[in-house]
Parts: sequence; structure tokens; C-alpha cells
Amino acid sequence: MSPSPLGPALAQKRVLICVGSGGVGKTTVAATLALRAAVEGRSSLVCTIDPAKRLANALGLSALGNTETQVPAIVLEGLGVSPRAKLYAMMLDMKQTWDELISRFAPPEQRERILSNRFYQSLSTVLAGSQEYISLEKLWELRRRSEYELIVLDTPPTAHAMDFLDAPNRILDFLDNEAAKWLLTPALKAGKVGLSLFNLGSSYVTKALSKFTGVETLQELSSFMLALSSMNEGFRERARGVRELLKDPQTGFVLVTGPQVERLDEVLHFQALLQQNHMEVLAVVVNRIHPMPPQRLWEDAARLAPGRRTKVEQTLAELKSLAEQDAQGIAQIQSACPLTPIIQVPRFDLDVHDLTALWRTGRFLLGDEHLA
Amino acid sequence: MAGLLDKRLWIVSGKGGVGKSTVAAALALRSARAGRRTLVCEVNTQERVSRLLERPPAGPDIRLLEDNLWAVDVRPQEAMREYALMTLRFETLYKTVFENRLVRYFLRFIPSLQELVLLGKILFHLQEKRPDGTDRFETLVLDAPATGHAITFLNVPQVLLRTVPPGPMAREALKMRDLLVDPRITAAVLVALPEELPVNEALELHAALRDRVQIRTHAAVLNSVFPERFTDGDLQALAGYPELLTVAKTQHDRAALAVLAGTKLERNLHVPVYPVPRLFVPSFGRAAIEEIMGHLEPLVTGAS
Repeated sequence: MSPSPLGPALAQKRVLICVGSGGVGKTTVAATLALRAAVEGRSSLVCTIDPAKRLANALGLSALGNTETQVPAIVLEGLGVSPRAKLYAMMLDMKQTWDELISRFAPPEQRERILSNRFYQSLSTVLAGSQEYISLEKLWELRRRSEYELIVLDTPPTAHAMDFLDAPNRILDFLDNEAAKWLLTPALKAGKVGLSLFNLGSSYVTKALSKFTGVETLQELSSFMLALSSMNEGFRERARGVRELLKDPQTGFVLVTGPQVERLDEVLHFQALLQQNHMEVLAVVVNRIHPMPPQRLWEDAARLAPGRRTKVEQTLAELKSLAEQDAQGIAQIQSACPLTPIIQVPRFDLDVHDLTALWRTGRFLLGDEHLA
Repeated sequence: MAGLLDKRLWIVSGKGGVGKSTVAAALALRSARAGRRTLVCEVNTQERVSRLLERPPAGPDIRLLEDNLWAVDVRPQEAMREYALMTLRFETLYKTVFENRLVRYFLRFIPSLQELVLLGKILFHLQEKRPDGTDRFETLVLDAPATGHAITFLNVPQVLLRTVPPGPMAREALKMRDLLVDPRITAAVLVALPEELPVNEALELHAALRDRVQIRTHAAVLNSVFPERFTDGDLQALAGYPELLTVAKTQHDRAALAVLAGTKLERNLHVPVYPVPRLFVPSFGRAAIEEIMGHLEPLVTGAS
């Protein structure tokens, strides 16, 4: 039985980040890791985005918003284990986290202007990348407070796992860019609300741009950027902090994926991107694998009455076909990233949404149990 | 019940991993077989539809896959260029303006501009005409992003109408919204798996599309349904073989879950639900898509 790389990680890391595209079981893996760490004696927090209702209830998240809450010990004892440390959970509310960030860091005279700005409202709710950024921002804040020995972050369901990593860079890139400074500085110095559009360069550029967006849009946007720029220093510092946190040796990534061959590209991209950015991939978790039904089941089936035998054999044949499909996918992932540990988790009989199921998932993640 | 063939824009969405691209590919193929010039659009993703149909990838330019069937992967950069060229008319002007470093910076910060140009390009193709005045594409199948992103994406025109002051962007947004909310043109097909999360997401998506975007759900597809096979008697008879019993019980539970999921979808969405059985094939390619197409026949034609 080979030891799981997640064992040492649970004992030593301070931050684990579960990434992967939507529908692969990230939330379950994140919750499982925090649960195991707590049971083994490290106080842990799982920060999830939008868990299944049953899982949320099991974690005591039913009525809670953006704050951390302790999962009652009695619930955990129902598993037949007595956790040696506390387990906390929270459900991240993106909009509220943005608002808190602004309220805390914008100068008082700008606060209302930002919060009520129409552009801000779409920035904080719908702008692509802003969810990813704000979840990292929250992680950074939680990590700085140092109240938990381990924080496990479940990430928003990006179309591409890679989008997530790029979020702090995009913010930093924006704030640190010469172009942005050039745009904003004269207006800041003059204390004007709104930018001089002529700063954009030759005026026909500006005219053409406003033909594209409308003059008023440009003006409103520039006044929003100006208001936001009062937070620039704070933002920049935090965005840098976030970026550092991702590279910190005490931070590790767990890439969650399914066994389908079409997921392969994503695994490879992500792997390359993390390595390029000096971030540590602890493992690729291949979730919901159909195990191959063992030969003895066919022998058992052969002893059944004919009608039942047909039904059972058809079911076994179907399972075999599913197992073969999955094995193909896993073999490809394995050969494509030979240096990364791959952890296989079987598909359980029903959906995995309660603590008992998390516990079972944990046995595979931590290597107590393996697929044959 | 009207079939999809009565509509022109077929939007396929649902939770990640439920088989949206598979369903979109099957629907597009069926539309093309009905003799309609059909364009299937994927949105800034790793292309799946062309691969499922065992054709070379389409890429960002519209490409003919086979008779009556075209595909395109709509990507931000190319879409932005096309969109800008449409509004600005001149290539040189585009270059001066949009290849200006400062402008590029500025544009990145305009909320939802990327989604706007992506959706704008798709809806542009919906309205494109041939020289004889007929529609260039009679059916447009949109393999839309997963739930949350789909809502954001399709909601862009409405958000913009609230956000931007009157002007070109607002006018564009208004045109886009009018197309999307017109039930004679647009039909949303929600895909789910017979499991708790995908079903709940389909219900959320349905409500969000209805309340925020004003797009009506036309139908749901319940994908990967396991057939009902074992009777209670069968299960009792397997008591002496615990492992086989587990196998049979799992199959039985999954089949039961599919029935439940179908009922839940039907009751909450008030639209027909079309089950597609789980296929047990070594690799998922064209043959599988054709088989799925057969199961979606009543959805497309409206025949019961």
C-alpha cells in the first residue's frame, strides 16, 4: 500500500487549494481534507463556494453566510471518530466579501461612491475573474489571521481551472501598469472627478473609442476607476500578498478531475501552469472512478437462474465497459504527468453529500484504502 | 408541443460535466439532417463538438463540418476585433484605436465587455443574411457555458442596460436582449444528470433564466439514465450473493434515482423531460452522438 502524498500535506501545510473545472467533486474533496486534518489533530477550516444542500447541512452551514462556523463535535462523533481538533466551515459570499473589502480599505469619503457605482456592482457580481480574485483575497485574509492550522479552499467553478491562478496577476497587472498610472495620475493630482479623456492620447483615438462605448460610459468608468484608485496601494499590497501566498512552500494545490479522456487537456495545462509559476501540485485526484468488477462476480452470476443471470451479466458488462473507459483516461493522465502522484477515488453508490460519505472519500484520499 | 425546429436559437446549458456538448452536437446534427443550415457555437472553450462528430476542430473561424453543418469556437480576441470592426467600420481605425496600449487597458476594465462581444458575435450570426435575403444560418445551436457562467453570459445585455448610459453599447445590448427573450426565436434546453446536484442546478438555472434573463425553458434532457432492470424479487433472490446484490442494488438505485430526477424536473420546470440512456461504449464518438440524436428526436420535431 503506497502512502498518499496528502498525508504529510495534511500534517504540515497551512493552505490547501482544490482546483478543477465544474462538476468534478472539488467541494467534496476540500471538505474531506479539512475533516481528516481536524480528526488527526489540526484545527481546520474549509472555505467552500456553493456546497450541495445536504453537505452544507452536515457541515452546519444551513443558515450561515460569509462567516466561519464550527462543525459541532457531536456531528463528527456520529462518524465513530473523536476529532482531536476543531473543524470549521464557511460558505464564501463573493458580493459580501467585495463589499467588506471596499468598506475596509477605501478612504471614508470614497466608500459610498464606490459601493453605489453601477460599474462596481457589476464588478463585484458578474465580472469575469472577480470571483476567483475575491476568493483568494479571502483566503489571504484568513491565512493572515492565523487562527487555523490548516485552511482548505474550494475554488469557484471556473470553465478552466487555469483562470483561477491568473486572477491576482490580472488585478496586479492592471494596477501596476504604466498605462493605468498615466491615465490616473494627472487626474489624481488635479483632484478631479473623472479623467481627462485626452490623456488617452490623440483625440481621434478617444473619439473612436467613445463611438465604440459611448462618451458617457467612458466618463462614468473613468470616475469609477478614479474612486477605486484611492485604494490602489491597499489593493496592490494585497494582490501581491495573494500571489506570494500561492507560491508559499506551506501552500499546496490539489487538482481534482474526472477520469474522462476529455479532461486530460485541462490536467496537463494546469500542471504546466502551476510548475511554471513555482506552485506545488501535491496530487491529481481522479474522482468517481468505476472499478472493474472482479472475475468472481461473473462466476457467481453463472450460478443464477437464467432470467436473473441475464440481468446480472448485463449489469456486469456495463460496469466493465465503464471501468474500461475510466482506466483509459487514468492511463493517459498517468503517462502525461509521470511525476505527479495520482490518487484514485471510486464512484460511490450514490451521491457523496454527507459526512459518512466524506469519511469514505477520505480513506481513499489518504491511502487507507485503494482501488484494486 | 412545439419542437425545437420551430425555433432558431437553441441554447444548451446545465451543470458542468452533464454532457452539454454531447447534447448540443446531437441537436446540431439533427437540425442539419432536417435540411437546415446549422451553426453550432462553442464559447471560448476546448472544442468538443467537432471532436465528438469526428471532424477536425473548427477554431475561431466558421468552418463547414459536413452538409448543412458549420461550427465555430467563439473566442474573445477574434470576437472583439469583429465587433469593433462592425462598430468602427474601418480596419485602420481599429488598429489605431484597439491596438493602442492604453485603450486595451481601458477596455479590459469595462464590465462584461468580453461577454458582450462573445454574445454579440453569436447573435450577429443569427441575423446574418445571404445575398438572396434568406438567413445565412437557419438554426444556431449554442453550447453555452455551465450554469453560473451561462447566467452571467446570457444576462450581459440586461446588466449592460442597467449599467451603461445610453449610447452604442446600450443600443447593442437592447438588440441582443430582444432576440434572447423572444420565445419565437430562442429556446433553452437544460441538461441534467440523474443526481442531486445537476438536477438542482437545472432548477436554479431555469429560475434564473426566467426571472433575470426572461428566457423560457423549452425542455430538459436527462442524460445518462440507467434503465430499470431489477425487480424486488430479483434483489431478494440475490441475498445469497452479497457482492452481486450490491451490484444489482446500485444499478437499481441509479435507475430509481433517474425516475425521481425526471419527476422532479418535470414538476418544477413544467416542460417535457427527454431521457437519454447511459451509453456503454468503449469510446464516445460519432456513433454515440447519432444514437443520442435518436433519443432526442421528439425534442427536435415535437412529435410525441
